[in-house]
Amino acid sequence: MSDVSVALPLGRTRMSPRKRAKISRVVQYAVLIAVVAAVAASTDWSNMREQVFNLDAVQQMAGNVPHAAFNTIKYTLSAFAVAFSLGLVLALMKLSSVRLYRVLATGYVEFFRGVPALLVVLAFGYIVPVAFQVRFSSITVTIALALGIVSAAYLAETMRAGLQAVPKGQVEASRSLGMTSGQTMRGVVIPQAFRLVLPPMTNEIVLLTKDTSLVFAMGLSASDMELTKLARETLNSSAVGGLTAFVVVGLAYLAITIPLSALTRWLEKTTGSKGHV
Amino acid sequence: MTASADAGAALGAPVVQITGLRKSFGPREVLKGIDLKVAQGEVVCVIGPSGSGKSTLLRCVNLLEQPTRGTVSVLGVEVTHPDVDIDRVRTHVGMVFQQFNLFPHKTVLENCTIAQRKVLKRSAAEADEVGRKNLEHVGLADRAGSHPAQLSGGQQQRVAIARALSMDPALMLFDEPTSALDPELVGEVLSVMRDLAESGMTMLVVTHEMAFAREVADRVVFMDDGQIVEEGTPAQIIGNPSHERTRSFLARVLDPTHKHD
Repeated sequence: MSDVSVALPLGRTRMSPRKRAKISRVVQYAVLIAVVAAVAASTDWSNMREQVFNLDAVQQMAGNVPHAAFNTIKYTLSAFAVAFSLGLVLALMKLSSVRLYRVLATGYVEFFRGVPALLVVLAFGYIVPVAFQVRFSSITVTIALALGIVSAAYLAETMRAGLQAVPKGQVEASRSLGMTSGQTMRGVVIPQAFRLVLPPMTNEIVLLTKDTSLVFAMGLSASDMELTKLARETLNSSAVGGLTAFVVVGLAYLAITIPLSALTRWLEKTTGSKGHV
Repeated sequence: MTASADAGAALGAPVVQITGLRKSFGPREVLKGIDLKVAQGEVVCVIGPSGSGKSTLLRCVNLLEQPTRGTVSVLGVEVTHPDVDIDRVRTHVGMVFQQFNLFPHKTVLENCTIAQRKVLKRSAAEADEVGRKNLEHVGLADRAGSHPAQLSGGQQQRVAIARALSMDPALMLFDEPTSALDPELVGEVLSVMRDLAESGMTMLVVTHEMAFAREVADRVVFMDDGQIVEEGTPAQIIGNPSHERTRSFLARVLDPTHKHD
């Protein structure tokens, strides 16, 4: 026991942990700067300015951006409405005491999580009309169903976790007041679970926003065009500076998704902090 | 079964009647044949070491636990019957939990009104009025707009009592209502419970507060190892227990070096 201290490596030659961390950080920064400089130096800037950051091209397409952005948002929100309601039903099915419901919900989640969203979009564009002899009146309905059905599979898992995270005592208190299991779900469990799943749900909306670009697969009329499609059309139709469209559209996507994250943070702050014990 | 139980029955039809109650969790039998009656207006305190099945017994009364065998009747309804409408029975049975279990997303007043509105179908105005009246009873009328997280443990538990009382229950169940509280907050909750007992409420209380049991209970039930060892007046059970198990339990609990004194 007494010779433990002797065994400690107290050699004067070793650096202190703090000094070592400092040197390691300097090395990291140096590498980072070197990489950025190398990329910048090997870029053909004059060509970039003409092709990718072409202000004339920006001016030419600018008029079409608001409409395309509006369509992107419209597709996102309608798909999310489908995903939210369907995801909630699936989450409740997963937690059901009825085995058949659990099996069905699990099968659904596994299937739509495993299949590429593009495939589902194509199925809705071409297979569903053949199979059911229906033709959706608007592209919005088709895309909302296709993307909503895929997104619901992810949301179901998120919501199930949220519902399960609400303490059992909450259900017991509610039931012992005479509230039915349905009233308990709606009045006590779901509102608390909603708050818990707000951050992962935002994540899902952001993913949906980007997935709306998959509508290109269905062939859109000009009025149905969303951001990504707009960029491709611009690229195809303009002689020079067409690549600029991708920069513009990228910024437009960010203009949609970043406020969304801010909104979630605000919602969390206003509803969350007071609520939880 | 005992003289005191007969005396309780004489006051009127029993509010709670438990016969041959058994409850197992998997292979572990927690309740091994319990017979108990609680009469109208009676305050019964259940005491005993932890793990003796007290809480499980209480939770079998409003079916938060499903009994394995035996019958439980509450307010004349056999709740162990397969066809029972348990939600209706629970409407008349208030329950107060060790962990309060207030709804954190609702204000204090909303905690007291949600079930009134959804279950009793009272109007918003009526529910508010009943809720405020009960919050006043527990001394928290001024906190109606607060959220539970903004209250101390003792205040939260008093809100939980007001929430239960807002349903105008005929029976109140208390599951170790002061066990999760800091010692200096125990008194305020016990004093609310004492007032409630004096107002004539029928109460079944699982507790470790011997002073409360001695002062407020009409009858004390001592449980150990899933069975009722003995029951009687507080003077009999706490003052002069006849069973060795009761004596050794009380010696441990009433030991002056013990934190609960």
